[in-house]
Amino acid sequence: MTEKKLTIALAGNANVGKSVIFNQLTGLHQHIGNWPGKTVEKAEGTLHFKGYTIDIVDLPGIYSLSTFSIEELVSREYIAVERPDLVINIVDASVLERNLFFTLQLMELETPMVMALNQIDMAEKKGIRIDYKKLQKILGIPVVPTVAIKGTGVYELLERSVEIIEKGEINPPMIKYGEEVEERIREITKLIEKIPFRYPSRWAAIKLLEGDEQVEKEIREIGPEILPTAERLAKEIEGIHGHSCSTIITSERYEAVGKIAREVQQIVPKIRPPVSETLHTLTTHKILGYPIMVLVVLAMFQSIFTFGNYASELLSNLLYGWEPLFGGLLGTGIVKELVWGGVVEGIIAGVTVALPYIAPFYFILYLLEDSGYLSRIAFLMDTLMHKIGLHGKAFIPVMLGYGCNVPACLGCRIMETERERLLAAFVTTLIPCAARTVIILGLVGAFVGIQWALALYIIDLLVIFLLGRLAFKALPGEPTALIMEMSDYRFPHLKTVGKQTWFRLEEFIKISFPLIIVGSLMIKLMEILNLLGPIANILSPITVTWLGLPAITGITLIFGVLRKELTLIMLATLLGTTDFARVLTPLQMIVFTLVAMLYVPCVATIAALVKEFGWKKALFISVFEIIFAIFVGGITLRLLILTKV
Amino acid sequence: MGGPRGTEKAELPLTALRDGESGIITSVGEGHGGGHGRGGGWGFKKRLMNMGLTPGTRVTVVKSAPFHGPLEVSVRGSRLALGRGMAERVFVELTK
Repeated sequence: MTEKKLTIALAGNANVGKSVIFNQLTGLHQHIGNWPGKTVEKAEGTLHFKGYTIDIVDLPGIYSLSTFSIEELVSREYIAVERPDLVINIVDASVLERNLFFTLQLMELETPMVMALNQIDMAEKKGIRIDYKKLQKILGIPVVPTVAIKGTGVYELLERSVEIIEKGEINPPMIKYGEEVEERIREITKLIEKIPFRYPSRWAAIKLLEGDEQVEKEIREIGPEILPTAERLAKEIEGIHGHSCSTIITSERYEAVGKIAREVQQIVPKIRPPVSETLHTLTTHKILGYPIMVLVVLAMFQSIFTFGNYASELLSNLLYGWEPLFGGLLGTGIVKELVWGGVVEGIIAGVTVALPYIAPFYFILYLLEDSGYLSRIAFLMDTLMHKIGLHGKAFIPVMLGYGCNVPACLGCRIMETERERLLAAFVTTLIPCAARTVIILGLVGAFVGIQWALALYIIDLLVIFLLGRLAFKALPGEPTALIMEMSDYRFPHLKTVGKQTWFRLEEFIKISFPLIIVGSLMIKLMEILNLLGPIANILSPITVTWLGLPAITGITLIFGVLRKELTLIMLATLLGTTDFARVLTPLQMIVFTLVAMLYVPCVATIAALVKEFGWKKALFISVFEIIFAIFVGGITLRLLILTKV
Repeated sequence: MGGPRGTEKAELPLTALRDGESGIITSVGEGHGGGHGRGGGWGFKKRLMNMGLTPGTRVTVVKSAPFHGPLEVSVRGSRLALGRGMAERVFVELTK
């Protein structure tokens, strides 16, 4: 053994401080990718400890190890099939019972384990004391109390982990179910042991009794004869208890967990509720909760835009200042036009959006998430989101959409099912992002009147509502109701928040920059080849005849696919004035803005859609939205003429 | 049933509980598509179970969001938000 390499996986429920521990362990040596073929994130990091090079894999946060969501599937597959040297189970000490439920399931995967009993300080504040030594004895695995946010216990966690690995395989005792269940588990286990199944046999037997669809599917391929037996045995158990087999197994697991929790924890209710409790009551209050939410969201946007506008101007002044330099280098010919106007301006466009707006946006959002506030917003907005077939959590990407549609699309990952991810993403692409706000306010707001700008926002909400509802009816499948834990408020860990912001920003840059650059280059090329005029003419049946706009607007709408706010800048360039009132009638401005607001967000959003849902769905959404925007634009024009507004 | 409230051992959906009331879970509905834990309702029911809402467990409705919004319930020492659609299928026996 010359190179001593180890792999340790971190597993735990959501919101237990797992990513904080991950950051404490790996520091700067980490990278984020995707699990092969999945949209679930895979965070990995490396550290050196006592002569070992240890790879840390951060498994996605989950609620249980049953195949309800992709996250859960990814985690259990990794533990059972990739077989890391050790799994560190991170547990929130203040919600011990719920967390231990997951621990017991991890143990059933027969992997070496160490437990990090995290947030013990928060548990103490709630009046919960845990005898971790007793817990250690009952579970048969080392338990290390930690306060990840302060780094307490992290070193010991590593020490114990390496110790366990060096000692070699230990098989933690697994929970025993009732004898009538155990008997049948044994029967199926024997059958599974005969086939080359990649999961532990006992675990697989239990999963078959629970009716786990994924395990059933895999067994069907290699040992289909086992399935009827399993089904028969499950029916027998159901006959004995009168509940479904999965209910019985889950209940027994929780019973075991409850027993352990009662044995190891001591709860002394506090006389004065902790601050986090008061905050929770206020922020989810029937009446007060809503104004607080509005204030928080407004403050968030206000600070982002104030900072963004300032930083964006500063940056673009700086970057555009390089133009003479390029001129000097490349001359004034076609090459310079293409390199500067196509490539460099594309990059500048990206940079002046990404850094000043997207970065603070993510930062504040993760701050809110880490502290626990986002789940409260989801709680308050659940009713409203149900109107379009989504539940409260979908409000988070919707909110993101008002800043930029790209992170919003990526943010739809928080939804549980593929159907809801798609539905939520579709809705978010219709949300007027910051760039579209520029057009709405800059054109209609400034030249027609602020009440008309407001009307456009309301129309947009109506459109979202109508299309959302339609899509919800059209997409096969059932809506999922909200079910989530509202964990206690806590102080966010700034380093973790900063790191998450950085990774998101990186992802945004990777998705959007190539397309912005290619797009700019193509349009520049069209301009150089004098194709813009002919294109405007080709589009004129739509722009002039149907929408009643000047032919030249066709070109600006094409430019808008790159970046929406470019539409306004282009309009000014092509019309030769920024006093739009001289060249466009108020009616034309309204129609133009409406179309710009509704048709595909921009090339970067399309790329995000492709990444999340594949080409077909992305193309469908884009084409649909273009046709829809044109349709609505024309109808609005005729309606407004008819009503003579 | 006419008026299940008030009677000693009636089974109520969680949504019938007032703020602050508790109950012991008697059963969790199958959702759509039923079957013996294997049909379309599988994910839904399993999810509730995994969150700790198993039969025999004590659950307290802390409050409900306005406009027919989700319930905040307290179960096994954790605080959950449950959409109405979920809460309607959790049946409890009211406790004092």
